[in-house]
Amino acid sequence: MAEVGADVVEMTHIAKRFDELVAIHDASLSIRAGEIHALVGENGAGKTTLMNVLYGLLPRDDGDIRLRGQSVSFRGPAEAIAAGIGMVPQHFKLAPSFTVAENIILGAEPVKSFARIDRFRAESQAAELGHRFGLDLDPAAIVSTLPVGLRQRVEILKALFRDAGILILDEPTAVLTPQETRELFLTMRRLADSGRSIIFITHKLREVLAVSDRISVMRHGRIISTAPSEGVTAQQLASLMVGRSVLLRVDKSKAHPSAERLLEVDGLTAIGDRGETAVSSASFSVRAGEIVGLAGVQGNGQDELIECIAGLRRPVAGSVSICGTKARHLEPRQSRDAGLAYIPSDRERVGLSLTSQVWENLSLGHLKAFSRGPILLANAAKRRASGLIRKFDVRGATDVTLARSLSGGNQQKLQLARELTRGTRLVIAEQPSRGVDIGAIEAIHRILVEMRDSGRGVFVISADLDEIFSLSDRILVMYRGHIVADLVADDTDLEEVGRLMGGLHEEPNAAHATSPRERAPRVH
Amino acid sequence: MSIEAAATWTSFTLAVFARSLLAPVAAVGIAIVAGGVLVAAVGQNPFQVYAILIKGGLVGWPNLSVALQLTTPLIFTGLAVAMSFRAGLWNIGAEGQMLMGALAAGIVGYAAPSPTILHIPLCIAAAFVGGALWASVPAVLRVYLGVNELVVCLMMNPIALLLTGYVAARALKAPGPTNKLPDILDTAVLPTFSLFSQLNAGIFIALACCAIVAFFNHATVRGFEWKIIGLNPRFAHYGGIAVRRNALAVFLASGGVAGLAGSEQVLGVYKAFYDNFSPGYGFDGIAVAMLAKNSPIGVILAAFLLGALNAGSGILQMETGVSKYLVQVLQFIIVLVLAAEFSFSWLGNRRRPPARSAATEKDPMTEPSG
Repeated sequence: MAEVGADVVEMTHIAKRFDELVAIHDASLSIRAGEIHALVGENGAGKTTLMNVLYGLLPRDDGDIRLRGQSVSFRGPAEAIAAGIGMVPQHFKLAPSFTVAENIILGAEPVKSFARIDRFRAESQAAELGHRFGLDLDPAAIVSTLPVGLRQRVEILKALFRDAGILILDEPTAVLTPQETRELFLTMRRLADSGRSIIFITHKLREVLAVSDRISVMRHGRIISTAPSEGVTAQQLASLMVGRSVLLRVDKSKAHPSAERLLEVDGLTAIGDRGETAVSSASFSVRAGEIVGLAGVQGNGQDELIECIAGLRRPVAGSVSICGTKARHLEPRQSRDAGLAYIPSDRERVGLSLTSQVWENLSLGHLKAFSRGPILLANAAKRRASGLIRKFDVRGATDVTLARSLSGGNQQKLQLARELTRGTRLVIAEQPSRGVDIGAIEAIHRILVEMRDSGRGVFVISADLDEIFSLSDRILVMYRGHIVADLVADDTDLEEVGRLMGGLHEEPNAAHATSPRERAPRVH
Repeated sequence: MSIEAAATWTSFTLAVFARSLLAPVAAVGIAIVAGGVLVAAVGQNPFQVYAILIKGGLVGWPNLSVALQLTTPLIFTGLAVAMSFRAGLWNIGAEGQMLMGALAAGIVGYAAPSPTILHIPLCIAAAFVGGALWASVPAVLRVYLGVNELVVCLMMNPIALLLTGYVAARALKAPGPTNKLPDILDTAVLPTFSLFSQLNAGIFIALACCAIVAFFNHATVRGFEWKIIGLNPRFAHYGGIAVRRNALAVFLASGGVAGLAGSEQVLGVYKAFYDNFSPGYGFDGIAVAMLAKNSPIGVILAAFLLGALNAGSGILQMETGVSKYLVQVLQFIIVLVLAAEFSFSWLGNRRRPPARSAATEKDPMTEPSG
């Protein structure tokens, strides 16, 4: 291991272009031995691209990378791994039907005579590594049976098994509960103390301040600042990221919900894509004039629940009532007619047609207003689209540009513009700020609060607890297909919701558990 | 709209238009160059060969009328395929649908005597229904059960050939040595207007169909919905379009238009249903639709290109001894280049920096709903 505090990685004047799109301009970054270095920036700022250049996944167009003083130019990840760089990708690349140990050694198998895999050595080495860094795992467990948090440990162990001195973690907390996140941070600290360097990519500012030694901020493909994390505030970081000061919390008055229930879900049960019971008799309601947030770690049935409400999935039991229209299953056409505006999280596949023009995307669901008999009044639809583009501040769009050419935030505004102008009383927004930059998040949140204040019912589903807390008047928590809590936002806190998201309500004394380390190990 | 905005808009549409022409023009260009190399390799002068091809296809009314005759069925089949492709359905069964349409027109043409003013429309309607019925098999299997329509269409083509062959050779065979149905009645004959070819009034029906579909695509709500279904069926379903009902309608309409090609052949060219009359107009329709990028007006141009090449190829073989199959080679190269362009853009999308994880693909056409 290199001497603590010395620069192990120096990236200087890196540039990377994709055709005409310049993803990285002249970025310089140095990583010291034994530090946790956070790389923050909005989506599309170039964080992942920069790390892919370091990891050998993408060739650089310009600049130099020095690893422990030596100039290097990796032709692929294999060479980067051999040089001691490990990456834990955002979307895990594990063989689900293999055991933990098999996944860890895959491609670097310890062998006995006659090229036989030394399973015993593999398992004991894996277990020993895990133990040393607080990554306890059963080496014989099958990966597909593990929850996401533990799969992430497998990825980390995989990198450590290959002797990674520099570990890149790409958005590692996106899929974790607050407790799992804290455990991960403890592990990261142990790894750093052992002299390894951690590069931590994220856009969650609270986490950055909690765990990192130094912070580099990326904006528009440039590293615009690198500083020790002591003394930096979240506000400062946020304004560096977007280039101006933003409010992280929406200003909203107290809700005045009426008694009218715009959404009523009763005993809803749904089967997921793999045949599992994804939603188990969920019941709740959303009233006019309130924002209800649905919190939960991804994959606990939220997607299936919303699909059922929106008519994209057929429930096996229970009923959904939208503004008084009640049925087991309403086709999207029917739920829309009943009064639902739905902003899906999957913009690219469900909420937009990326290869269609903006006006076409804005006109779906509004066709009645732009038809005379069978004839489509395309010019009127285009004029309305131009008006909406201005009203919702969709940047870089004209009525005829392709939706694909817009950034994530502007695509989201396109969805909002279409859905919120339908004059409906119930709004369901799924992951409204996913892939959206901070500037646009603020605007989107403000729009949702306006909707509430104008007497509509708003139901927000988010994997981001900050978003849930900043918007909601009432918070529902979903865990393994059940709605496990219905809380008043002002009477609860991140800690409680986080515990419920992690399933701790199942343990009798969960409320008194003070440290996540006291939890029963969830290894299978 | 201000003058400036109008100017930007115009240059924008011009740019889009120019870009949409790029691939077909490049494909034809590459085919011409590759074909020239091939001709040179067999010891002929490529410039001379192309000159004869062009002359044989275009110069002089006799040649041109043959070219137009060969263009007419391709307009129908190309339009049929283009309609389905635009809605994201891969109807490559136009050959079989055309044969069934031809059979229906042939039967109504001789077996249902009626005045001219009724008889021709009756035969054409029968052809449309015949094609649509044949298309209903892959359509229903695709839309309600999610069976791949490519496979079903491909299998339906030889079935149609053998079935119509059976009818022409056994069940309804006209007396005589040829496997054909009895000649259609004079009241059902589409007028021809050339001494040199069988060019007939069917070409006006074909052009009218293209105009109707072009209008439908651009100016009607249904046309808009079909396009959205083709570009993103999940988005269409989410947005309240009845995806399955519309997909079924597209498929049947596409089969019906392919059936019209059969009516033109029977009523205009052969005056009877003959077994195995088609040199593969239904398959060439796929090339036409690809070359036309699914545009109805483009279909007219692409069908004429292939029709003229086919007309020229006969002359070419007579005058130089270069096999008329050279033209087929050219046609295949065009299709290959266009298919390559398709896979290039597909590869290009995949090689972008990795996007978010893909949710499980779901096909609203086969989702158990609607």
